[in-house]
Amino acid sequence: MKSPLGKRQLRMLKRDWKKYAVLFLLLVMTIGFVAGMFVANDSMETAAIEAYDKYNIEHGHFELKDKATDTLISCFEKEDIQIYEQFYKDFEEDSDGDGKKDAKIRVFQMRGQVNLACLMEGVFPEKKDEIAIDRMHADNAGIRVGDRISLSGHSVKVTGLVASSDYSTLYENASDLMFDAITFDIGFMTEEGYQAISGKQVYQYAYQFDQAPADEEEQKAWSDDLVEQLAILSATGGYTDDKDEAEELEEHIEEWTDYLEEIKEKADRAEELKEELEQEQKELEQKASDRQYVMQLLTGAGYDLTQIMTMSEEQIAGIVQEVLMTDEMQEKLRELTGIGEDLEKEEDRIKETTDRLEALEPYEDDINEITDFVPEYANQAIHFAPNDMGSDKAMGEVLLIMLVVILAFIFAVTVNNTIIKDSAVIGTLRASGYTRGEMLRHYIALPVIVTLLAAVVGNILGYSVFKDVVVAMYYNSYSLPSYVTLWNMDAFVKTTVIPVVLVVVINVLVVSGKLRIAPLRFLRHDLSTSRRKKAVRLPAFPFMTRLRLRIFFQSLGDYVVLFVGICFVSLLLSFAIGLPSTLEHYADGFGDMLLSKYQYVLKDYKDEDDRIITTNTKGAETYSVTSLKTIDGIHVGEEITVYGCIDGTDYFPISEGLTEANRKIVADEDSTDTDRKAAKDTDSADTDRKTVNTVPIPVAVSTAYAEKFHLSQGDSITLKETYESTTYEFYVEEIVDYEAALAVFMPMTVFNETFDMEADAFAGYISNEKITDIDEDYIVQEITQDDFMKIVNQLNHSMGGYMDYFAVICVGMAALLIYLLTKLIIEKNAVSISMVKVLGYTNGEINSIYIVLTSIVTVLSALVSLLISVAGIQAMWESVMAELNGWFAIYMGRNDFVEIFVLIMVAYIIVAFFDVRRIRKVPLTEALKNVE
Amino acid sequence: MIEEKFLEISQVYKAYGTGDSRQEVLRGMDFSVAKGEFCVLLGPSGSGKSTLLNIIGGIDSADEGYISINGDKLRDMDEKALTRYRRKHLGYVFQLYNLIPNLTVKENIEVGAYLSDQPLELDELLKTLGLYEHRHKLPNQLSGGQQQRTSIGRAIVKNPDILLCDEPTGALDYNTSKEILKLIEDVNQKYGNTIIMVTHNEAIQHMADHTIKLRDGQVRKNTVNENKISAVDLDW
Repeated sequence: MKSPLGKRQLRMLKRDWKKYAVLFLLLVMTIGFVAGMFVANDSMETAAIEAYDKYNIEHGHFELKDKATDTLISCFEKEDIQIYEQFYKDFEEDSDGDGKKDAKIRVFQMRGQVNLACLMEGVFPEKKDEIAIDRMHADNAGIRVGDRISLSGHSVKVTGLVASSDYSTLYENASDLMFDAITFDIGFMTEEGYQAISGKQVYQYAYQFDQAPADEEEQKAWSDDLVEQLAILSATGGYTDDKDEAEELEEHIEEWTDYLEEIKEKADRAEELKEELEQEQKELEQKASDRQYVMQLLTGAGYDLTQIMTMSEEQIAGIVQEVLMTDEMQEKLRELTGIGEDLEKEEDRIKETTDRLEALEPYEDDINEITDFVPEYANQAIHFAPNDMGSDKAMGEVLLIMLVVILAFIFAVTVNNTIIKDSAVIGTLRASGYTRGEMLRHYIALPVIVTLLAAVVGNILGYSVFKDVVVAMYYNSYSLPSYVTLWNMDAFVKTTVIPVVLVVVINVLVVSGKLRIAPLRFLRHDLSTSRRKKAVRLPAFPFMTRLRLRIFFQSLGDYVVLFVGICFVSLLLSFAIGLPSTLEHYADGFGDMLLSKYQYVLKDYKDEDDRIITTNTKGAETYSVTSLKTIDGIHVGEEITVYGCIDGTDYFPISEGLTEANRKIVADEDSTDTDRKAAKDTDSADTDRKTVNTVPIPVAVSTAYAEKFHLSQGDSITLKETYESTTYEFYVEEIVDYEAALAVFMPMTVFNETFDMEADAFAGYISNEKITDIDEDYIVQEITQDDFMKIVNQLNHSMGGYMDYFAVICVGMAALLIYLLTKLIIEKNAVSISMVKVLGYTNGEINSIYIVLTSIVTVLSALVSLLISVAGIQAMWESVMAELNGWFAIYMGRNDFVEIFVLIMVAYIIVAFFDVRRIRKVPLTEALKNVE
Repeated sequence: MIEEKFLEISQVYKAYGTGDSRQEVLRGMDFSVAKGEFCVLLGPSGSGKSTLLNIIGGIDSADEGYISINGDKLRDMDEKALTRYRRKHLGYVFQLYNLIPNLTVKENIEVGAYLSDQPLELDELLKTLGLYEHRHKLPNQLSGGQQQRTSIGRAIVKNPDILLCDEPTGALDYNTSKEILKLIEDVNQKYGNTIIMVTHNEAIQHMADHTIKLRDGQVRKNTVNENKISAVDLDW
């Protein structure tokens, strides 16, 4: 026989429909949104994974200083990779025709082999004045198919909007802090169109391994090898890809060149001697042709006329030469003979050396320089969107679980209250033979059914409505290819099974504890689970205060759930208010946060004539800069900017103490005759790694670096060269206030010594005024405040707009949670409220007991929750930022805390209005019912 | 004549509280009830009637002594066994009915029927209880007497061996009380259940087979009523 108690469920639902409707609504909205997020994310992630095959995504790309020769490409391809040209030109994009730059557009030729673009709208370009641009950027810039845009003054027609698989997130550079779909764009033109627009071409090459790496780890290992091989091949013109061989070759070339130089010097000397001797010989011969002079010479030498007459011409010439040849000439002759003998002896070696050097000549034309290398796994432009979806999913999952746990507790509290109300019935049923299990199943059935229904409805909405909402959010941030909605088992489990299981588990735990009470105590309405039989003694507070305290203790469980609920809402509100506030904080204060208004990076610190490049710009000072990568900590591979600054710098926030600490180390080295730059093998598992310095270099680190990596003064840090295995050890001498970047600062002299640069070398100029007196050809990069603002603008665009809505949803959620819990508290106290009414208390007096008490608890909960939520949001933010390059701290000012508090109070005031009405509606007869 | 010992209460002691607040409620309670007997526990407030009833019902336990049903001692039963015992052998009727407010009369009785493998026929029982016309009503649409009838119906629908009634007429007026007592009498006669009824209404002893008078937790008088009268003839 089916339990007749089941017939109660629908009636209980009907009786408490408001409560269950609110719970249902909260569950449906949350489950719906999270299910939508799961479905959308997984469908889009699947599309992203399929894109690897569908759009043939690269395994990485690199850039060369010059166009690679065919020979060099062949050498590269011997490294088991296929190379594809992916040249591009950057132009200024003017989309509104006002003649001003609206964005930077990176134009490629239409691709046919790798990194294919997905056409989202329109058609691919066919004529030379046509272009297909990124769909995301087009949306942001208001560009439509058919519009004309200008590429550095060259007008082209937009024929299509695309999503390119290697730019699903519009990162201009892989190391950029944030993508930028607002002022950065990519475009594709026909080959003819691409060639027709002049601009500086960047020689980028995409590569694919002949055999795809099995996983990211393998890809990383292969890429680490590949970057070194490509760098060596480029530097040697394809001669070798072996580092040792390249180093050996370099040494040999030097040795051979020196040798041939020496030989050449000898040959030159021999030639010189030969010429001199020939000249002198000529002069002698000239003298020998003068008969009179010869006769005088011969007679002077002791020959008589008879003897002279019998001499042949040769004999005479020999005697004349013997007589006239000076010691100097003889010395020259000896030297010449010696050189000749030497050269004769070295003939084989010279030939061999010359042959070797001649053999290297063909490679000279192929020598190049690798200027950028980005393996696919490290390419944020490819990975950021899928990773972001993954982290969003994780966060959605956590939020869903948190909310379901809270709602499960509300269900449990509701059931507990019903049990209290049904106390005598339960006692009777238990006394009649109903088991505790039957009672438990009966009482938790409704919460489980409501949760299950909410999960079903939520999933339906998730697949239909919310999926599109989430997709729209992602399409607002990322340039993703088209996707197909897929059934998602994971979403079903996480948004249906887990919530139901959570509700069951929490309710079983809470309710079974209550049902453990003996039937007799149910019959006697003695349901206190506390062993304490005596009332807590309260101090001699006024009566009303004591009454409130009694009610507080009696409803402590409900108030604890209320507190947890407020903490949860407060956490969400912290995000809703904290993020815009943080963005505003950075937007307003970025000017002050930056080291200077302008930073210039020069190609070299000397010009073509080997003169140091200078500027007369007021306040400009030289600085050095390089990039290293982290090898440990919260984010391995994070790019750290290392600055070297002059003594007494006006721009870098380092103290005299840092300079002093470095001076001390130098002094110690001098006194002990040690060299801090003596390389040492790192005693790590990575035997290839070499640490440059033996003594850690005292440096200052920026607050951004210290906060992200939890660095303190005195900590040691090890950073690695980007494309090499060389590492550097630093010592955190001080943490300086610089939030704009993860940076390390040190004196320039130390910088130059550490990075093996000339003592007077520098990377560029830093200035608060625009530098105009340096030839633009010498400037590689000009960094302005706008470049740093990209992150703020992009975050504001991606998320900022949603935060206001999110805050409203949070307030609504706060109102619903507070409504549910205060409703429970009032219902639980309905008999007492009725009783005091019977006794003659006015509604106002009753409100002052119950509403004031709940108000106090709400206010205190809201205040405490602010502290908890700040800690929570910072932990969440830290985990989000750990996945990204760069750092900025969540910033919440006093006004933000006030705003969160006020919003919770607004929610409570709305609820309090209903509570007052509810108390007024408690009938006088309530006290007279069900009382033995 | 009913003779065999069906229910045996042997030297049962029960106290509540500790130290100064310790109160002995039952002090060596000792008697037995035969199968099918209508037994009334009579006594003033605090005499231990309800406590004894609860111990018999297995929802409370004795400190000393034992209670056995058909030779099975309750003290040897664990909680599951006690639940099975209540499920199989007992029916409960309370002074305040304890009906489930959002179930109809019929459904409330079905709550009891659910516990039995062979419950009584519902419609027939409803007619016996005089509730057939009211079977679709909720408890709050019924009079006190009708609610108590429902409560009795819920208790007897599973045809229990023992029907425990705790002041079943305590909250009812005179006429309604008599109607309920008549109903219990009819049930006893029709289904042969052993009935233990706690009351402080001395008149009820006249309709019982067996009266146990209690005072201060002890049996003061154990009487077998040879000349019992019908409930309709009771007067108080």
